[in-house]
Amino acid sequence: MDPKGPVSASLFFSCSADAFAPDVCFAATELLERFGVKVGAPLSQTCCGQPAFFTGNRKEARAVARKLLRSFPDDGYIVTPSGSCAAMVHDGFPVLFRDEPRTLAAARAFAERTYELSRFLVDVLGVTDPKSPFTGTVTYHESCRLPKGPKAGAADPPRTLLRSIPGVALVEMEEAGRCCGFGGVFSVRHPQISCAMTERKIERILATGAEYVATADMGCLLNIGGMISRYGYPVKALHLAQVLAGAPRVEEEEGPP
Amino acid sequence: MEPDSRAFERNALKALSDKELQDALENAVGRIEARRAAAVASFDGFEAARERASGLRRETLSRLGDHLARFIEEAEKRGAVVHVARDAAQARGIVARVAREEGVALAVRSKSTAAEEISLDDALREAGVEEVETDLGGYVARLAGEPPSHILSSAFHMTREAVSRVFEGKLGEPPAADAATLSAIARKRLEESFSRAGMGVSGANFLVAETGSVVLLSNDGNARAGALLPRVHLVVAGIEKVVPRMADLPVFLRLLSRSASGQPLPSYVSILTGPRRDGDAEGPQRLHVLLIDCGRSAILEGKYRDALKCIRCGACLSACPVYGCVGGRPYGWVYPGPIGAVLTPLLAGLSEAAALPDASTLCGACSDACPVKVPLSAFLLELRSDTRFQGLKAPAEIAWAKGYASVMKRAGVLEALERILGELSRLVSKGHPLSGMPYPFAGWTERRDFPSVARRPFRKLWKIRRGARE
Ligand code: SF4
Repeated sequence: MDPKGPVSASLFFSCSADAFAPDVCFAATELLERFGVKVGAPLSQTCCGQPAFFTGNRKEARAVARKLLRSFPDDGYIVTPSGSCAAMVHDGFPVLFRDEPRTLAAARAFAERTYELSRFLVDVLGVTDPKSPFTGTVTYHESCRLPKGPKAGAADPPRTLLRSIPGVALVEMEEAGRCCGFGGVFSVRHPQISCAMTERKIERILATGAEYVATADMGCLLNIGGMISRYGYPVKALHLAQVLAGAPRVEEEEGPP
Repeated sequence: MEPDSRAFERNALKALSDKELQDALENAVGRIEARRAAAVASFDGFEAARERASGLRRETLSRLGDHLARFIEEAEKRGAVVHVARDAAQARGIVARVAREEGVALAVRSKSTAAEEISLDDALREAGVEEVETDLGGYVARLAGEPPSHILSSAFHMTREAVSRVFEGKLGEPPAADAATLSAIARKRLEESFSRAGMGVSGANFLVAETGSVVLLSNDGNARAGALLPRVHLVVAGIEKVVPRMADLPVFLRLLSRSASGQPLPSYVSILTGPRRDGDAEGPQRLHVLLIDCGRSAILEGKYRDALKCIRCGACLSACPVYGCVGGRPYGWVYPGPIGAVLTPLLAGLSEAAALPDASTLCGACSDACPVKVPLSAFLLELRSDTRFQGLKAPAEIAWAKGYASVMKRAGVLEALERILGELSRLVSKGHPLSGMPYPFAGWTERRDFPSVARRPFRKLWKIRRGARE
């Protein structure tokens, strides 16, 4: 695909952003449109299959993954604000479909077009400054599941982008890359271990004194944000997209349901 | 050693509420992980070395039979006695026979996971042989009556205070607070055993096929003393330990040492090539090498072959955030941490250890740390899928998976479900995050809130704001 000419991208919402954090998807949309991308939102998409894949229920994961493959137009980029959803497409689909050559080929082509939001901005659009009006001190939690591997272009898109926001002071936490303890089903099955890990993460976050903690993954956001909310810690968890776009207000009051 | 991995969750909870253990873990794991990370970062050729070592291991495993035959031939040529055991029981039989035939009364042993795997202590006990563990950590853990917590250091989980208490209680030593005094106490006790022992028992870090040599690495010198001083030496090693050539060793030594302790090279490297020859200043007069299969051939033939690449450096343990929280005990067998969560199901049976692959967030820190690129995360995922095929999953989980898939197969159904859950959560919490959820999510919200479903999920809002345009 040639990024010259008008770029179009379909938003791959992440089922958890869809249900729990629509703001995140709108922030992503706003950000993409800011850089001239024509954004579509294929409404028949549901989930990537990761919850079933991670629990080892591959038959069900395949059914859901197939549905995702069918829900998007045949061309244009596919951009998601959730690192682990992109990782599922890049690393999970090849495993799921390893015995189905035709679907595997389709899944690989799909993965070729799929990007985590910050990587898309930096690697495809060549954005160096997200032009964000956001102000505040921000610490960044590196989600473990930002896709590494074949799409590794710029080493660290989230930090590259955060650093170039004039109003943002990025304060690094210790162990920024250490898992926050979410792990999807892990946090349900082993809530105590999971919380012990989250507590350690929160300690590191609080030690920075930052006003915001940003992360590029919906799972980490639910987890870290959930503990902050419970104990009223003096820091706010935001999705990276919200910082990059400039944190849109919550718009719950619009029109009848 | 009998696996006790089914009790992972119970033992993990115990570990989490054990304040002293938590301090020890934070200290020990934190320190070793920092040293490892620094040693790897300062090793320019790390990635290249990793690639090379991984390739070498792979190549070796693809012709393991040939390399092993060569090792046996060369070792025997140089006077070693080589035994091969199919399983743990057979291995124990061989150990007991060797001990009896060699007339051994006291054996000194250095840390060996292979020996733990076959419960070598039982074999010696049956043969009436007294056994002393000479690895400092292992010595302490043994005195305290605790199972090993790490593949490198058995008392990883104990604070100095705990060690001092054990020495006071079991040996009648006065309390001591510093590490030097504590290890001096242990050394004094151990020295005496070294001079009396008729047999030394050790594992092997590598077996070199072209020369029939056994390579032993250690940082405290006990393994070396145990191999050189007693009249007889018995090596217990998994069949996968073989490397084809002496020239292959350096890359492994570098990687293993940095990944294990952060040192550029191990303090002691002992290479035993046959027993003592005329004119040799030291070395055992008799050298036995016991090669154990214990399930390895089966692994070699299947999709988990790369697990046998492992060189037991322990990097995946120190890097693992779950191991860092609960320590080694909950894994319930010889190998804890991520490699344990892979090897225990493969060697001791998935039905025994199905809980272990689940005890991971799949964050990938283990795979990233592994110096020979064992795909640990991918294997954990694969094992989770195997439990479904082997009928080891709870019916409730399968029902959940089916329900999940049938919702996700149609956007309309998902939308309806979102609406219902949204209404429900607003009834309960008035749009605030949920501070409690029903089973099986109750644990989740014990110390965390869960967001309630938005009144209008994104797909709904998108339709409102942008019309039906997609
Ligand atoms: S799996 Fe890799 S990191 Fe873990 S002990 Fe083995 S070699 Fe070391």
